[in-house]
Amino acid sequence: MIPIVAYLALSAVIFSIGLYGLMTQRSGIRILMCVELMLNAANLNLVAFSSYNGDLTGQVFALFSIALAACEAAIGFAILMSIYRMKDTINLDTINILRW
Amino acid sequence: MAVENLAFLIPLLPALAFVLTFFFGKKLPSGGAIIPIAAIATSFVLSLLITLRLLANPGEVVTQSYNWFAMFNIGILVDPLAAVMLTMVTFVSLLIHIYSLGYMSHDKAQSRYFAETAFFTASMLGLILSDNILQLFVCWELVGVCSYLLIGFWFHKPSAATAAKKAFLTTRIGDVMFLAGIVILFSDLFKIFNGAVPDGVYILRFDTIFVHIPEIAAINANIFGMEVSHITLITLLFFGGAVGKSGQFPLHVWLPDAMEGPTTVSALIHAATMVTAGVYLVARTFPMFMAAPSSLMIVAYLGAFTAIFAATMGIVMNDLKRVLAYSTISQLGYMMLGLGVGATIGAEAVGISLFHLVNHAFFKALLFLCAGSVIHAVGTHDMRQLGGVAKVMPITAATMLAASLALAGIGIPGTSIGTSGFFSKDAIIENAYLFGETTGSWIPYALSIAAALLTSLYIFRLLFMTFYGKPRTDYGGHESPASMTVPLSILALLALFFGGLTSKTFNTFVSDTFVNNFVNMDISALASLGGYQLAEHAGHEPMLILWMPLIVAVAGFLIAFLVYGLKIVNMDRLVSRNNPIYKLLYNRYYQNSIFTNFFSVKVIYEGFAFAGRAIDRGFDWIVSWFADLILETGESLRQFQTGAVQNYATVVIAGVSLLVILITVVMEVL
Repeated sequence: MIPIVAYLALSAVIFSIGLYGLMTQRSGIRILMCVELMLNAANLNLVAFSSYNGDLTGQVFALFSIALAACEAAIGFAILMSIYRMKDTINLDTINILRW
Repeated sequence: MAVENLAFLIPLLPALAFVLTFFFGKKLPSGGAIIPIAAIATSFVLSLLITLRLLANPGEVVTQSYNWFAMFNIGILVDPLAAVMLTMVTFVSLLIHIYSLGYMSHDKAQSRYFAETAFFTASMLGLILSDNILQLFVCWELVGVCSYLLIGFWFHKPSAATAAKKAFLTTRIGDVMFLAGIVILFSDLFKIFNGAVPDGVYILRFDTIFVHIPEIAAINANIFGMEVSHITLITLLFFGGAVGKSGQFPLHVWLPDAMEGPTTVSALIHAATMVTAGVYLVARTFPMFMAAPSSLMIVAYLGAFTAIFAATMGIVMNDLKRVLAYSTISQLGYMMLGLGVGATIGAEAVGISLFHLVNHAFFKALLFLCAGSVIHAVGTHDMRQLGGVAKVMPITAATMLAASLALAGIGIPGTSIGTSGFFSKDAIIENAYLFGETTGSWIPYALSIAAALLTSLYIFRLLFMTFYGKPRTDYGGHESPASMTVPLSILALLALFFGGLTSKTFNTFVSDTFVNNFVNMDISALASLGGYQLAEHAGHEPMLILWMPLIVAVAGFLIAFLVYGLKIVNMDRLVSRNNPIYKLLYNRYYQNSIFTNFFSVKVIYEGFAFAGRAIDRGFDWIVSWFADLILETGESLRQFQTGAVQNYATVVIAGVSLLVILITVVMEVL
């Protein structure tokens, strides 16, 4: 049996990679992927604890989370698509009209 | 089912007629007039039956009462006082509705007219039937609204719209006083009950109020250093309401202007019924006035003053309806005087005042309807353009003559021969004499005699200028249709004979309202509370006093006949603008100008404008300061929104990290 610490460590690593990507990347697609990574790290935590505690609730929750992530990705990519069509770029530094 | 149990239908039927006429009148012939006529006719029959029953057994007062909320009720009280008013109002209203069939037949808004008059009748009947002061006040306001709507019936005419507004605002001054009186009365009664009103006791019901009069009288208020009994305060505030509604000086200014409405409205509301609501209010709360020192004196003085004040203006007006309007004010003054002399004759005052009220309703409604008939046929109400109308409109002229004789009070003292007005007005004047004898104050009597002279003068002036002599302009004209002349004839019969037929019974019937009835009042005990000296009406007046009203009435007639009939005086010189007295009277003592130009414009309009501007600027400053503050804060805070996603992410992560650290620390500490 793999100890739970291993799952948590993996989850933390994935989360950190996602966070690092979110902070450093400029491309909208990459940022979105990083957000997905962070979400999945959280899912991993949920499933791990669920399995560890023998309680199915966490797994169900993870399923919901996956579904939501799918929706978020669909909307995010749709937005990026239309931004690309308007501006010929998805570099978020150039897309900053929502500012003071 | 006994008829007295149906009393609640008396106001409800016209109210129902209002709803039906309002919604379906347009689709029916002549504006659905048949609905209110049928409803009011039923109400009249009910009222008459109840009155006859009361006449047979004066003790059998009809009372019905339902819980409204808390310590207030909705209820019906038909005692002799209410019964005669009910019968009079339903009867006059019925006749005027029938008359309106002809009078309003050319008007496109007929259904609105009939709906509003039906609503007015319902409200007025509700006012009369009220067994508590709160319900009375509600109906009081409703009749005010109806009056506003009907004065402004031709609202496309600016003068009518202005008159309606003026009437509403002027009577409002009185209404506010009335309301203030009710509030004080309520708080006093609440105190008397120690705040614990038992179930089933309705605090503002007249019987409750009357029973507690001595306790209210014992409460004193200090106003400008004077000790004033609360009962005086309350009754004077009530009287203030009556002054507004019944067009007493100085709030009478709205009534002549109210003639902008259709003549039938003037007859119904501004002559026969609504304007008498003030008199009715004082009569209804008469035991309170009886116990209030100096209240009745003020009522008597103001009534007598209004009687002569309005009569002087009546003699110079050239507008047919305006003469009648001033006459109404003057006669209402007589009614108030009639109540005021209660200071010496006690509850009998209610009888004589109500007697004049009812007679006045008949002959004044008749005068207005005759004027309406002339206006309808000829198309003008300027008397200077009329003359000789009697030749083309014989029925109208004959009925007008009957009404004028009643108004002037022609009759032979000591017999039962005479017109209606003779019996009631003479009773008031005689009692004013008694008032003078008892209190030593002869002013009300002198004023009432002088007003009787002027009354006769202005009404016969109107008669001569309009109906006799040669036509001054080439007007067409024809006798009015039967729907108009029949009500005229009925009213003429009443104006001539009602007083003579009922003078014996009416007074005792109504005066007994407060004795052996709904509540049994000890009037003499109340009078001693109010400090009034009651006198026995022994009929010991000198013959001259009995004949005096007739003498001045005939004198008035002779002056009018000589000046306007035979034209022995050159009127052009008298009525020129250079004659200061004429100018003063014609300009209505400049009271209107003072009210409008000084009071309305200078005090209210400019004063409020000044105060408003100051307040406005103050608020403006506060609001701007606050707005600037928010704006500046926003300006500095918005720098935060950089538009770069990473910055937002940094803040979020920093926030989450901080939260985690905080939670960890807190958990450690706990």
